[in-house]
Amino acid sequence: MTRESFLNPVEDSVPKVDDEIAVGEDLDFQRRWWRFEKLVWTVFLIVIVCDLAGLFGRGWLAKAEASTPDRALIVDYERIERANTPSTMTLRFGPAAIRNGHVQFHVSDAVVRDLGAQRIAPQPSTSTPGRGGISYVVPVTAAPAAVQIQLQPAAPGRYTFKIQLADAAPITRRVLVLP
Amino acid sequence: MLVERIVEQRLGKQLTPFEFVLIFYLGGLTLTGMVGIEASMVNGVCQILTLALCHRTLSMLRFRSDRVMKVLDGVPLILMEARGWRTDTLRRMMVQDDDVMNVAREQGIRDLSGIRIAVLETFGQIAVIPKPQHPPRDA
Repeated sequence: MTRESFLNPVEDSVPKVDDEIAVGEDLDFQRRWWRFEKLVWTVFLIVIVCDLAGLFGRGWLAKAEASTPDRALIVDYERIERANTPSTMTLRFGPAAIRNGHVQFHVSDAVVRDLGAQRIAPQPSTSTPGRGGISYVVPVTAAPAAVQIQLQPAAPGRYTFKIQLADAAPITRRVLVLP
Repeated sequence: MLVERIVEQRLGKQLTPFEFVLIFYLGGLTLTGMVGIEASMVNGVCQILTLALCHRTLSMLRFRSDRVMKVLDGVPLILMEARGWRTDTLRRMMVQDDDVMNVAREQGIRDLSGIRIAVLETFGQIAVIPKPQHPPRDA
């Protein structure tokens, strides 16, 4: 008589209640799981609070401002961005930035390449690439004036950008782009 | 998957309308993050294959390890036994005694005294075993 190799004897290994009904309850495991669940819910809560506060971008903690000492240029930006998510960088110009009805400023390549500048409003009268970035000239009537750059970073990472008025010290800041 | 395991206290037959919506909502939100702006067929096919591979891997781990099986599926939990209700389990799993009685009635058990044991199974169903003197009525 040949023995079927795949046939094993039936063994009742499931723990029983009152030695009668096989349930397979493992309360020790379940109690550990409940503790784990409690921990996970705490983490969920922390994540939501951090998100509402802007720690993951698009909130109060994410917004930042940088300016030149004479406040001729003030840059409103988000220090924490999200990949593939639109945001706006605003350049505000004081009276000292306006010369002959124009504002001339230079943005580094990181704004275009890493932070994904989509468009600039209003449209500059000239855009000149060079010196590791693009120089823009925008006609302005009087201060206060603002230019907005629409950003949409393509990839996560930490990027450093520079913005500089003509003949002025640059503003250098870092932006963290989250996935 | 972890979120679903944590959030969904009751699955399968015990789905409430809200939990039913929640599952589809979580699926939709996950899809947004996974697909993003890329709607190519290559992306779709690769994601399907990735999910299939993940499912296969988890199934294999579940088959080979009791611990993994418990983590993925949970364990059956006794809600009611001869000594009475397991109130701690009921509270933590958010199951009410009425839920148990609903299932008992489906089996022809008239009241709680006719229940030998009630178990919350891993996929969310409540299994009720009647006392020997209260055999279920013929349907």
